[in-house]
Formats: sequence, structure tokens, C-alpha cells
Amino acid sequence: MKHESPPRWFDSLLDKLAPPSLAEEIKGDLYEIFCDDLSKKGITRSKLNYIFNGLGFLTKSFFWKKRQSSHVNNTIMLNSYFKMARRSLHAYRSNTVINILGLVIGIASALVIFSVIRYELSFDSFHSNADKIYRLVRVSGTNMAILESSECRTGVSFPVPNALREESSKLAKVTSVLYNGDALIEVPDKSGAIIRRFQENSTALVEPSFFSIFDFKNTNFKWFEGNAKTALEKPFSIVLTKSASAKYFPDGNPMGMTLKIDKRFDCTVTGIIEDFPSNCDFPFTVLVSYSTLPVVNSRMMTDWYSVDDSNYTFVVPAPGFTVDEVQKDIARVHASHTPKDLHESRYYLLQSLSDMHFDPRFGTFNGRTITRQTLLALGIIALFLLLTGSINYINLATAQSTMRSKEIGLRKVMGSNRKNLMIQFLTETFLVVLMAGVFALGLSELLLFRFQALLNIKPETFYFADPVVLMALSLIIIFVTLFAGIYPSLLISKFNPVTALKNRFTTETVGGFSLRKVLVVAQFTITQMLVIGTFVVIAQMNFFQTTEIGFVHDAIINISVPERNPVKRETMSQQLKSQSFVSDVSFSFSLPGGVNRNRSYQDIARTDAKAREDIKVFEFHSIDPSFLDLYKIKLLAGRNFTHLDSAPYILINKSLMNNLQLGSPEAAIGTSLIKNEEKYMVIGVIDDFYSNSLKSSVDNIGMVMDPNAFRKVSIKLALHDNSSLPDAIEQIRKIWTATYPDYIFDYQFLDENIKAFYEQEQKYAQLFQLFSFTFLLIGCLGLFGLITFVINRKGKEIAVRKVLGASVSGLLFMFSKEYVKLILISFVLAMPVTYYVVNNWLSNFSHHIELKWWLFVSPGFIVLLIAISVVCAKSIGAANRNPVDSLKCE
Amino acid sequence: MSRIYLGELEELVLLMVALLNDEAYGVTITKELETQANREISISAAHAVLHRLEEKGFVKSKMGGASDERGGRRKRLFKITAYGRQTLEDLQNTRNTIWSLIPKPSAS
Repeated sequence: MKHESPPRWFDSLLDKLAPPSLAEEIKGDLYEIFCDDLSKKGITRSKLNYIFNGLGFLTKSFFWKKRQSSHVNNTIMLNSYFKMARRSLHAYRSNTVINILGLVIGIASALVIFSVIRYELSFDSFHSNADKIYRLVRVSGTNMAILESSECRTGVSFPVPNALREESSKLAKVTSVLYNGDALIEVPDKSGAIIRRFQENSTALVEPSFFSIFDFKNTNFKWFEGNAKTALEKPFSIVLTKSASAKYFPDGNPMGMTLKIDKRFDCTVTGIIEDFPSNCDFPFTVLVSYSTLPVVNSRMMTDWYSVDDSNYTFVVPAPGFTVDEVQKDIARVHASHTPKDLHESRYYLLQSLSDMHFDPRFGTFNGRTITRQTLLALGIIALFLLLTGSINYINLATAQSTMRSKEIGLRKVMGSNRKNLMIQFLTETFLVVLMAGVFALGLSELLLFRFQALLNIKPETFYFADPVVLMALSLIIIFVTLFAGIYPSLLISKFNPVTALKNRFTTETVGGFSLRKVLVVAQFTITQMLVIGTFVVIAQMNFFQTTEIGFVHDAIINISVPERNPVKRETMSQQLKSQSFVSDVSFSFSLPGGVNRNRSYQDIARTDAKAREDIKVFEFHSIDPSFLDLYKIKLLAGRNFTHLDSAPYILINKSLMNNLQLGSPEAAIGTSLIKNEEKYMVIGVIDDFYSNSLKSSVDNIGMVMDPNAFRKVSIKLALHDNSSLPDAIEQIRKIWTATYPDYIFDYQFLDENIKAFYEQEQKYAQLFQLFSFTFLLIGCLGLFGLITFVINRKGKEIAVRKVLGASVSGLLFMFSKEYVKLILISFVLAMPVTYYVVNNWLSNFSHHIELKWWLFVSPGFIVLLIAISVVCAKSIGAANRNPVDSLKCE
Repeated sequence: MSRIYLGELEELVLLMVALLNDEAYGVTITKELETQANREISISAAHAVLHRLEEKGFVKSKMGGASDERGGRRKRLFKITAYGRQTLEDLQNTRNTIWSLIPKPSAS
């Protein structure tokens, strides 16, 4: 009898549909009946019957019911996946460690960056109607079309908010905030004697409406005492934050107590509030009622010209009005109060509160903004860090796969299908990434605390328990698992079992090698870019710090002079000069440079000036005769002040001289200039110096000798060694405090003050160093893993080569030339991009370094050197090994 | 006595399992039903009933050895449980009792 079989297509249909546990018995029974039929009926009838009987099963409910036993089976497989993953991770320990290390670094940095971005984005977003709040900003310039040429500032003239409140119907709420710089706060006891004294830079004048606009809804902000509506109504009311009140009144209830501000104003405490959150652009701890301002200085409230850039106005437009309509209405109100030349060159525009923290043109009370581009760049770096960690994994996993080909082959023979294998390898990847993720969470927490100052953030609490962070971490884990795991698992599961068992794969024949090259190049391109960037930033920083700025600034201490009494000043000067460590003392209004100095700008013109353009703005200085000497500012022509001068004389610098078109320094001597409607005679011309940072160009400077305007004392120290510095400062403190017993001693070194100009750049330099170090570390880890693998594979080849006479150096060359090539390619790729970016960054500064070729080549060379040393360190052992050891077995 | 959920076909199949002892599986049960009770049921129906019986605990099953006549596939062998046997006996007893109570039609 000819062998007949039931229709095969129907069998496979049953296989597909039936639960695996049932398919076998069903097909068995059907086959038995089929054989039975075959002996009685014809083949066609039997086949039909087979199908008919089989279809019968499809109508039965048990056939479709999910069986308990199949679940058990799945979990068994799941357990097996994890067990196998654990075993193979254990078997390739060194690779696992390298993979985990690379990923830990990558994930931890990504988490840190994530936290930074999240923190920055959270600024000022917690008010219930944050999207409806706008800040009034002042843009000055004759041509509004070119915003770049306009002056962007934040200050609003004092009468503007009140006028808007009364005359504009398109604004629902208006509130003014005046951030007061330094303030001396004194706590008197009942008899009026001062018991505590604090120098604060966190006082602000606010209106009651402040809290109706900024409600801090989504924070734990609350009023402990007093209430938002009435506390800040009356002049000389004061509201303290919890921490400030604890500082001023460590014992007892502060409500109704008096605080003396700047020795002049007695204010009554009318409320206690929770501290403002750290992600808030109002760094206030002491709030004084805004209504105090007109009482103290009523003239200011009607002056539409003058502006104080720390006087902000926030508005909420009435419902239904667009920003454009509101801006037009504000312009209308402004125009109705001011002359043409003012309202045609000054505009008040609306800036959304959500942009306040991200627009560097205007700035905030906090003094810090961060552009969205910077955040985006940080995000991209985070992504790259994850990618480069994943690349290590992909490289090592594909390289390793050749070693595992026997295992895969056997698994396939034993019935594992592609899906199983893929799940198996993804499970391995997942375990690695999960472990890395857990370590990274801890590490990122450490990093956040360690680099708090650098990252400019204040983590509120630790964030292990923060669901958003955990969610981000899980997303990162999933993303990395898939990104790093998919390709190797596809590649591995594709192996043909026969070839795999014969172990015919070599590193080169597995399709991954060319991909590995690409990935290594990608990794090192990113690394090179960052390393070059670091070099340039550091070179620029060096340039900032070493360039001559026109005056000496080392070993100079500056202290404020709080009182005008000339006798006190003279006594202090004598006392200071009698100290052996003081070489010179000078009094002045301000300092020649530094972030922290008094700035005053005034108009000056020649006597024959007619048009508005002829009037120049200059930075005002008032100095005593020793100032030029102490700071070593060069006199180009004419003479310095003497103590005998009493006539209105002025010293001008070269750029003011040029701007006023006075010709040469010699010619300028003796000219009369008009300042404050008074005539001043030029008695000398000084050389230009950089009062502001080297990021901008030199300013016009004019110096008069007006002892009434002396606010600072500069002390030039002559110390032989640094160890005596604390004693010297202590001596100075004693002398100063004896002179001004009612004030707080606060000193500053001028060189630190000047360094503060470059704080942001300094941070960039540090961040760049950190990032390039991280990338280099991850890249080298991956390289190390790869070279370890290659050496293990090529043990015999090395031995044979040595037997045939290869030298150690020849072998090292053989190993490194591949990687040298890859790194050179990455260098070539990194160059143009980096050049473009770096050039762009440098063009922000009016004084910057030239981009020399060595700025690019030397970092490239260093990366190459590090990579080669990693490769050589690993391969030198293999090259030195006795060939007998590797050849004797097998 | 608690109520026993045993349909007529289920009872028959259960009886066949008991009868076939060690050789009860889908095909033999349908054949035996045909010869003993002259009932023709489809193989799928037999499977469905066996599953139901197993769920109710009247039979238990295990996979038997493979044989050539089935193309190398194993069969699921069913065996009656003590509970199943008890149930069948109970049913039989009930019927017997009732039958004994039914008055016989007089012969005359």
C-alpha cells in the first residue's frame, strides 16, 4: 500500500490554533482515525473526514480555553532565561564588568543631566496662573526692527505701574517689585539698643498684589502669621520668611517687633511666610511694603525718565486681550505721559513669565538665566552618553558572539527558535542595564551633591523616592536595553546552527565588524569634539586671566566705607598705613574693575556740544591722589590729583578722549568739559583699562576727586608669605571695626572680584572637562574590552607569529594600527564641527584667542595617545607571553 | 445525597473509560461507544466530554507513550478516579432502588 498522509496544511493549521499541550493528542487521535478510514474508504474520503473531524475541535470550547499548564510553562521559560543570563554574565565576567561600568557612568550622567534640566525647567512654574503672568521689560533703541541693536533691560520707571493700573483697561493685575541690593538690618531690643546686626542682599519691596499674582500654588508655601492681603499694605511693614525670622528673632514671636533698615527706617514685622522655593527667581527673605517707597522718596514716583533695573513690574492681562493689544495699550499710556524723544526710543514690552528664566538678554533677580539651547545641548550630551555606553555593549556583545557560537548552535539544535534566543539575549542585556541602572541611581545622587555648586542647583531632598526620577530611570533602562540589545540579539539568533557548531566564525566574518568600526568611530568623534572644546575653553579662560587689563589687581583688599566723616577716614588711613603689611591705602567711589563695585554712569560733553550724539556716557569715578599709584594705572599725559586741588578737575581715559574727539592726550590737557551742568578741566589722560570683563570692550572713564563720594577703601598688601594673611585681615578688621563700630565688616579681594566676571565660563570649562573625561573613560573602557577580546581570540596567531620571528614591537604595532586608523578618522570627522561650534562661542567675546592649529591637534593627539596606551597596555602582556604556552594545548 | 452533575453522554463516556481501563483515550472511546451502545459521536465531541469529566474530577489523565500508528504522537490516556467510580455506583444504586419500587405490570 502506498504511504498516504493526512493533509499537511491542516496539521499546521491545528499547530497554530491549538494550545501546544493539546495539539499532540488531537493530531494523534485524528491520525489514528485517518489510518482506520484509509483501510476502509478511499483516500479522498479519509482526508475529508480528517478535516471534518479536525474542524469539529474548533467548535469546542475547551479547545480555545487558556490552559493553566501553559502559564506554568511560560514562567518556567522566564526563569530559565534569567538563569541562563546570569550564568553567561558570570562566565564572561570581565566583559560584564566593562559593560556595567560604561553604562553606569553613562546612565548616572544622563540622570544628573535630567535632574538639572528638570530643575531649570521647573523655575517659576508653580503659580496657578503662571502662563498668564508677564513681566514688563524695557527695550531701548531707535529702531525696534533690529532687536539686537536695542538695549534690553528689566527696569521700569517708577510711575509706570501706577499709571497702567489706573489708565489701562486691558490689564487685570499689575504689581511692582523692587529688589534692594545690600541692606543693613538691625534688631533693636525694647530699649532701642541694637542687639543683632545683619548685612542682607535679599530684601525686596513688594506690593500686596504680589501674592495675588504669585500664589506659589504648587509648593508648600503658606503664611504662618499675617495674611497676604493686609500684611504689606502700610508703609514700613515687613514680612519675613521663616528662616529670616528665625535668624533675627531666635527667641520669641517676631510679630509686631521692629527692625531697623539701613540705620534709617524702623519697620514693623506684620507677617511670617514660608521660605520661597529654591527654583524661584525671587531670592527674597525680607519683604518690605512697596508703599514705603513714596514716603521715603516721593520725587522718584513722578520721574518717568529714570529707571532702576531692579524695579520689575509684573502684569496679568485682562481676559480676552492678546499680548499685542496689551503692548499697544501700554505704549499709549506711556506716550500720554512722556515727551516724544522718550517714548519713541523706549518701549515697554511683555515677556512671558515662562521665558523669564531662559532669556539671557534681560536677566533675573537671581542673576542667573539659562538658555533653552543650553538645556537642549545638555540633553543631547545626555543622549550621547547613553549612546556611547550602549555602543560599548553592542561592540562587546557582537564580538563575544563568536565565542558563544557553540552555545547558540547547540541551543538551536535542541529546539530553541529565533524568538527564544532573542528573548534570551535581551534578558541578558536587560540584566546588565538594570544592574547599571541601580548603581547609576546611587552614583547620580552622589554626583548631584558633589557638583551642586557647579551645576547651580539645590536638590531639595534626595530623589531615590521621586517617582519622576524613577520613571526616567525605567525609561532609560528600557531605551538602552532595546538600543543596545536588539542588534546583537538579532545577529546572534541568525546563526546557522551547523556553521555555528563547526565554530567557523571568526571575528571578521561576523557582519558586526564593520559596524563595530563605525560605532568606535562615532564614539571617538564625540569624545574628540568634547576634548577639543575643553582645550579651547580652557585656553580662553587662561587668556582672560593672564591678559593685562590695565591695572594691578593682586593682593588688594577692598572694604566699604559706610560713613562720610573725613576725620574718621583719615584716622583709619593712618592706622592702616602704620601696619607693616600695608603698602598703600586709597579711598575712592568705586573700584577700577570687578563684578562687585559701585557703578555710576553720567553724561559728559564738550563745551561746544550741540546735538544729542555729542553727549557721551562715561563711568564715573571719584578717587584720591594715591588711587592711580596703588592700581598702577598709567598716566599718558598731564598730572594726577594732589591733595591741594580743589577746583573741578577731571581725569579722562583714552577712549573717552577719542570719543569726545579731543585729539592727542597732550592736546586734551586743559580742555573744559561739561558734566552735570558744571565745567570740569581735564588735567590728565590715563590709559585705557578693562573695568568690565574682557568679554566686552573698554568703557569711557572719567575720574574726579570728590571725597564726599568715597565709598570704598583699597588696601594694597605687602605680604612676604601667605601664612600671615589671616593675621593681616584680622588687624584690618580690628582697625575698621574700631572706626565704624555700627557696621558689619565685609572685605573682598579684588582679584576674586574680577574672576567673578568669568564665573559662567569657568563653569563651562569645568563641565567640559567633566564631560570629556566621562566620554574618554567610556570610550577607553569599550576599547579595552574589544582589545581584550581580540587578544584572547588571537592568542595562537600571536604565538605563531612570534615563533616565526615577529618582535614585540611589531605585534604591538599590528594591534594598534587598526585603532589608530579609526581614531584618526574620528578626528577628521570631529574637526569641522568643533571648529564651527568653537568659533561661534569665541565670537561672543570681544577679546578672544586665535584658533591655532595646535588647539585642535594636541587634544586629538592626547586622545590618540590614551587610546593607544590602553590598547598597548593590554596587548603587551599577550605579545610578551611565551608562545609555547598558547601553542602547547590542543 | 448531593446532586451529581453528570449528563447522559458524560455518564456513557465515563462508563467507557471504566470499561477500557488502561486503554481509554479519544479513539478507543468513540469505537467502544459505537460497539457497546451503538452511539456514534465525533472524535471532537469525545474529547470535549473527557475534558469536562476531568475538570469535574471523575477521570484523571496522563500522556502515554508514542506509537507508530499515530505517526509518533503520544496519546492522552484516561483513568477513572475513585470519585468517578463512586458516582457511577451511586447512580446505579439509585436507579436500582427506583426500579425495585416501580410496580411490575401484571402478567395476566
